[in-house]
Amino acid sequence: MDIFWGIPSEEHIAWGGMIALYLFLAGIAGGGFLTASLTDLFSKERPTKLIKTGAYIAPVAIIFGLGLLVLDLSKPFFFWKLLININTNSVMSIGTYIISVFVSLAFVYAYLVWAESATTLTGIWAKLVQFSSRFFVLRKPVALLGAIFAICTTTYTGFLLSAITTNTLWSVPFLGLVGVPFLAVLFLVSGVSTGLAATLLGAAKSDGLKIYKKLDIAFIVMEMILLALLYLTVNPIYFNGSMATLFWIGVVGIGLVLPLVLSVYGLYKHSKWVAPVYGMVIVGGLCLRYFIVYSGQLF
Amino acid sequence: MAKQYGMVIQVAKCIGCQACTVACKFQNEVPEGQYRTKSPVFGPIGTYPNVAMYFEKEACQMCQKAPCVNVCPTKASHYDENGLVMIDPDKCVGCKYCLTACPYDARFINAKTGAADKCTFCFEERVSKGLKPACVSTCVGGSLSFGDVNDPNSDVAKILTKSKSEFRKAEFGTHPSIYYIFDGVVR
Repeated sequence: MDIFWGIPSEEHIAWGGMIALYLFLAGIAGGGFLTASLTDLFSKERPTKLIKTGAYIAPVAIIFGLGLLVLDLSKPFFFWKLLININTNSVMSIGTYIISVFVSLAFVYAYLVWAESATTLTGIWAKLVQFSSRFFVLRKPVALLGAIFAICTTTYTGFLLSAITTNTLWSVPFLGLVGVPFLAVLFLVSGVSTGLAATLLGAAKSDGLKIYKKLDIAFIVMEMILLALLYLTVNPIYFNGSMATLFWIGVVGIGLVLPLVLSVYGLYKHSKWVAPVYGMVIVGGLCLRYFIVYSGQLF
Repeated sequence: MAKQYGMVIQVAKCIGCQACTVACKFQNEVPEGQYRTKSPVFGPIGTYPNVAMYFEKEACQMCQKAPCVNVCPTKASHYDENGLVMIDPDKCVGCKYCLTACPYDARFINAKTGAADKCTFCFEERVSKGLKPACVSTCVGGSLSFGDVNDPNSDVAKILTKSKSEFRKAEFGTHPSIYYIFDGVVR
C-alpha cells in the first residue's frame, strides 16, 4: 500500500458474488412462481407435478436469496432497520416491501398447493390440513396476486441496479425509453426463463411439458435478442474487459446457444435431454447476474 | 442567503505531501487501511525535460444532488441543515448501495463501526466550532480553502471569482461542493 502516491491498495467491489447470487435466486423464485401460478390459473389439464414444483421452488429460492442479502450487509443483525426506516426515493426501500409481500404470498401459496393434495396424512398434520381446508378457496386469488408480485420481484432486481444513474452499464434505458431500464426487462426475461427451467427440472418425468419447452425456447431467443441489443448500446469495454470469458462462455455459450440447439433437437426426439438443457439455462442465468454485477463495477 | 459550505482546491499549489491524508486520519480516527481523503498522483506525463505531474485530492464531493442520499434505503445518508451530505451510523445497515452509487468512490464501510463512512467536512468536530476542516488547516502549500461560497468576503468566494473552477465528473449532474482549480497545471 503506497498511499504517498495515492495508489489504492485494491480495486474494491461493493457488491460481489452474494448479491449476484441473490439477484439470480430472486429471478428463479419469481419465474418458478409464475410458472406454477399461471398454469394453475389458466391450464385446463392442471399438471399437478409442475404446479407443485414451481410453488415449492419459489419460497425456498427467495428465502435462500434473502439470507444471502442479509449476510452481505456489514451489519446483518440490524437488517430490520430496513423495515422501519423508509426512503420512498430508494428503489431498495420499496423493494424490501415488494419482496416481503412476495415471500408471504409464496409461502401461503406453497402451503395451499401442498395441503390440498395432501390426502394421506395422519395425526396433527391431518388436523392442520383439515382446519385450513376452509381457506382452500383462496388458492386461485393468492396465485393471481402472487403472480403480480412475482413479476414485481423479478423486475425489481433489474430496477435495483438501474437506479444507479451514475453507472453507464446498469442504468441504460430499454430502447431509449425513459423510465424503462434495460436490466428490468433483461432480468424479467432471464428470471422467468431460469424459473421455468428449474420447474421443468423438478417435473422432468411428467407428460405434457411440450408447451413449456417451446416457451423456454422463446425465452432463450428473447434473451439473445436483448443481449445483442445491450451489446450494441453500451461501451464495448463491459463486454471485452476481464469479464469477456464469463460472458461469452457462461452467458452466451452455456446459457443460450447450447440449450437452444439441444432443446430444438431434444424437444422433438429425446425427452431425456431435459436435465442437461435446463441445467445449462440455470447456470447461464447465474453467469448473467455475475457478469452484470461485476462488469458494472469494474469498468 | 443561506450558507453553502464549499472547498476550493488549487491543484497547482499541492505538493503531494499527504499532510491532509494524515490529518484526516488523526482527526476522524479512520481505521487502518481506510481513508476519507487521499491525494493520488496523476502523471508524470510528457518526455524529459518537459514532464509534469499533479495531485488531485479526492474525498466526498458533498454533492447537492447526491446519488448516495437518493438510493439509501434507511435515510442513514441524508442532507443536514446546511445541505451537507451526512451519515447516521445508527440507521445504516451496511447494504453498500451508496458505495455503488457514488461516482467518486468516496465511501467505504468503516471497519470499526460497520456503517458507511466518508468525509464530513469535519463539521461536528471543527467547522461547527468555527474552525476549518483538519485537511484545510494542515495544508502546507495553501492548496485547500474552505468556507461559505455564498459569502462574498470568504476566502473561497474570493478565489472562485478570480479563477475558473471545475467539478469532478460534472456530467452526472451531482452538483458537488468541491471546486477544483487547474490554473497552472499541465494535464
